[in-house]
Amino acid sequence: MPEPCAIVGGGLAGFTAFATLRKGGLSPAEIVVFGTDPDPAAAWRVRAAAIRQRVMRSESDGHCGPTSFPGLAVRAARRGRSLLPLVQSACDRYHPTVAEFLEHVEELRANTGWDQSFRPHRIRRVRSVEGGFELDGAGPFRHVLLAPGHPGLAFPEELHGDPRVVHAYEPHEYAGEVEIVGAGMAAATEWLNALAAGSSVVSVRRREPERRPLNLPRELFTRRGLAAYHRSEPAERVSLLRRLGVPSFPAGRAWDAPIERALRDGRFSVAPEPNGAPQIICATGFERGYRHDPLLAGLVDEHCLETAEEWIQLAPDSTVPALTRAGRTLAIAGAPAQWAFPAADTLVGAKYAARGLLRRIHAWRTR
Amino acid sequence: MAYTLRGRIDSRLGAVLAPLAAACALALVLHVWWPIELAALMVFVGLALDVFVYHRSLPYQPSWAAVPLGLLELGIVMGVAQPLNVDAPLGAALVFYAGAWLLAQALGHAVFPLARLSYGDDGGELGRVGPAAGAAALVLLAAAGGVAWATQPPVVRLAAGVHDGPLVIDTPQRLYGEPGAVVRGGIVVTADDVTVRDVTVLGGVHGIDVQEAERVLLDRVTVLGAQRDGIHVRRSAVAIRDCAIRGSTGTHAQGIDISFGFDLAPSTVEGCTVIGGMEGIVTHFAHVRVRDNRVIGTTLRAITLTEMSMGDVEENEVENALGVGIFCGDYSHCRIARNSVTGTRPDTESGDRTRMGFGIVSHYGAAATVTDNSLQGNASPIGSFLRARISPE
Repeated sequence: MPEPCAIVGGGLAGFTAFATLRKGGLSPAEIVVFGTDPDPAAAWRVRAAAIRQRVMRSESDGHCGPTSFPGLAVRAARRGRSLLPLVQSACDRYHPTVAEFLEHVEELRANTGWDQSFRPHRIRRVRSVEGGFELDGAGPFRHVLLAPGHPGLAFPEELHGDPRVVHAYEPHEYAGEVEIVGAGMAAATEWLNALAAGSSVVSVRRREPERRPLNLPRELFTRRGLAAYHRSEPAERVSLLRRLGVPSFPAGRAWDAPIERALRDGRFSVAPEPNGAPQIICATGFERGYRHDPLLAGLVDEHCLETAEEWIQLAPDSTVPALTRAGRTLAIAGAPAQWAFPAADTLVGAKYAARGLLRRIHAWRTR
Repeated sequence: MAYTLRGRIDSRLGAVLAPLAAACALALVLHVWWPIELAALMVFVGLALDVFVYHRSLPYQPSWAAVPLGLLELGIVMGVAQPLNVDAPLGAALVFYAGAWLLAQALGHAVFPLARLSYGDDGGELGRVGPAAGAAALVLLAAAGGVAWATQPPVVRLAAGVHDGPLVIDTPQRLYGEPGAVVRGGIVVTADDVTVRDVTVLGGVHGIDVQEAERVLLDRVTVLGAQRDGIHVRRSAVAIRDCAIRGSTGTHAQGIDISFGFDLAPSTVEGCTVIGGMEGIVTHFAHVRVRDNRVIGTTLRAITLTEMSMGDVEENEVENALGVGIFCGDYSHCRIARNSVTGTRPDTESGDRTRMGFGIVSHYGAAATVTDNSLQGNASPIGSFLRARISPE
């Protein structure tokens, strides 16, 4: 008899999906989570610490809980006995601290029974079999959600092997003169970090960063924007995903004022190429595309899945059409699920994929 | 939230169900229609804005926008309520609106997202609950409308021409006069839920006599040549709007007299013109709002609230009264604001020192507050007599 449900990936995307499935009525005994670290925030915690991130870019509902309410603003208001977080949230100005976010993850982990479902094992192969999917020989599982996370840190080709290079998401200090490659949120954070540490900063970038509050326009988080997105042809969708993938960080004085001061003091400049600084920090994010992830690459090759450039073509509910039918579901969450949900690499994206899976589980159960 | 159009409609209809039900309950308990009319108006204004304005102009609606949008909708609802004759008391209507708005916020931000996991992703859509909520709202409105229609007083149209009276109205009805409709000899109202509109009354002991009746509306009536009172109201609750009274013939004739209904719902007199008579508008032991009227050439007092009456006298114009312009007497409580009283003449023949051409008088234990009144060309501006109080607000 196939086991009901498995999540491959024990990071924040898998954890958020797990919480959503739990809210949807599945017990911990009905869900198996495969991952490498029982702490769902382990990988994220290291990266956030590396770039000295203190405040989230996301807003009150950027949390791992299954419902938008109560958000982190409500939690902060309750704890601080203050209405200020709620007012800030109403104005889209509330951004939880990293510490608050991590506390919330800990609480949710305890409340959802995550540790009961967690199995320490890195899945390397998904195979479609009678009645579901085998995961490295375990199972079969009737419904599987792949949440493998980011495949690895991205470095510019020309800097491979350069001993001066460190990635922004790796632990590091700041030299007196630092070149920071990139123009997104991590790069902007690193500019401020390095300036605060007393360094001179050269921002190495080939385009001006976009300024947006979130990493995508807000309509694309709901059906309002998604309906047109889902109707788009593959070529059009690839082009849109490329456009949306350009680096961005929020507007605001908190970002601009330190840069303006450093520009006046001659401690901040922009250059198109690295130019001999003793330290180069690559704030260039993660490798992109299913080919960089051995699990997904194997899945595509073995089952001849449809792809479009670096993306696996998914159904609007984040399921893999060729492998999903009545009574069995293979869905993808996290960054590799952008074909279904452009903001798939956010926590909201993980919930979106989990809800798609949940609908299929409920539909199967009610038959 | 980036609402879809259906999401806006679903969320709105989901949020109005409880206020609609509350409105129906209120209407049943209070025996008034305004809660249902107001709730229906709120629904239709909101839906119209959703479809024609919000969906196009607000691809993303931040939470704070609920406040200005709520105020905008309130303004439109208030603006539309008046011409549609939604007779809602302002304070109660505002409380009802505010309650419905707060409930909608609680539902939209907390209850719907908790009840439906994909509420946010779906742009506010409620799935199968949405159409069900819409159907329930329609059923509620249709049921309320059906009951309203079934219980509405019949409309009686009074043809143009002169009809002999007195006309006695002893069942609920709406008497609408065609242009040129005249009743000679007066109208007597003894039933609740009566409307008399666009009718001219000639003569009669009282032009229009309302006895022990509630929810009576006298709208755009004209009374000419009554022997005593133009409009005579006893133990009743009435709304008198845009009336004209003149040419009363008796020595003790009064324009409008509303008396002995303090324990009933407040009465209102608005937008009337009263010319001549002993007293223009007078109340005894009644709770009345007298607003935006014009009273000219009275021989005793222009506007009087007396015998433990309570009420507001606002924005009226009083001209050429003999003795007293506005009078608050006999332990009444009066709020007298923004009136214009001009040309009040002293009644020297009476020998009464309280009638020496006062614009405003508080008399015999009455308490009057006065604010922003214009008192020009009166023999005396303000007087207070016999333990009465008069003070600025």
